[in-house]
Amino acid sequence: MRKGYLKPWVFGIIAGSMIVLAEAFAGFYPPAAYSFCLTCHTRDLVNTFMNGIFGAHFQTTILARRILMLTSPSVLLGALIAAHGYGEYRRQKSTHPLRYFLYGLMIMTFGILIFGCPTRIVIRTGYGDFFGMVALAGMVFGIWLGTLLIRRRWSRSV
Amino acid sequence: MTVYGTLILGCMSMLIGFLAQRSRMCFVAGVRDYILVRDRELLMGMFSFLITLWIMTSLLYAFNILRIGVPEYGAPAIRVSIEKIGTYSLSVGNLNTLFQKGPTGGIGLLITSRFLYVTLIGGLVIGLVSTLAGGCVLRQHVLLAQGSMDALFFILGFYGAVVIYYGFLYRFFVRLY
Repeated sequence: MRKGYLKPWVFGIIAGSMIVLAEAFAGFYPPAAYSFCLTCHTRDLVNTFMNGIFGAHFQTTILARRILMLTSPSVLLGALIAAHGYGEYRRQKSTHPLRYFLYGLMIMTFGILIFGCPTRIVIRTGYGDFFGMVALAGMVFGIWLGTLLIRRRWSRSV
Repeated sequence: MTVYGTLILGCMSMLIGFLAQRSRMCFVAGVRDYILVRDRELLMGMFSFLITLWIMTSLLYAFNILRIGVPEYGAPAIRVSIEKIGTYSLSVGNLNTLFQKGPTGGIGLLITSRFLYVTLIGGLVIGLVSTLAGGCVLRQHVLLAQGSMDALFFILGFYGAVVIYYGFLYRFFVRLY
């Protein structure tokens, strides 16, 4: 076992309680269940800058007019501190740049459509949102389809 | 813009990023590992996250600290049509309104709303593409911090898609709601 390794269920308890307490006591309210989402917060961050710099009228939430949504850079910074602090930074060359670019493009587009990244889908399900449960069911079905493709890739390569 | 809220959000996200790197947490890999190799560890992470949220929100709703709210997505074109189905959205009681009779409740309004099918198909595509990319969005951020250049291109596409979506695709996709 690695040094300083954290069990995933401990992460679940800490992050889950932090997210709910942030919405209740720090007032991250107008869209409900909105205190942590990488897709929506990145959308708000980029659109705030686009509106401010180029004078565009892109869609942002009401919360984004009050606070600056620095979620995605902060997650990167926190993970960078952890990776350097425990000596797990390994630079790996990119194997398929264009393919991963398209993956990111598709996840963001469909994430904007259904208002959530995988994390927020789980958060909305925990809040009791019916559409969150529908999205979670769709996500599990999609993962099952993905595992079929992965298995096919394995059997081809062997 | 308040500095206070920004700081709280930034610190919370930094802590989540730190813990996610330490526990290699990923919401897609939990289900994927269970299907492929019957490894339950990451799936337990997802379930503990879900159950913690469920217990915390139920308690805070019961003590009236957390408001039962409708999601509020800004643009008027989306907001008007979502308000129609908004009674079902984001409340613990929305499973109750699902079974109510009358014009404001019931399953009929729900299964005729296009947002239901958009959500189902969107969730399916997100699950499929995340599995092929090797992790959910949170995991891709952590992988980039660990030095994976594949994740760098993923994040570049992730940011670029916002501009592409609102610049070109918005007028087509907004009809889906």
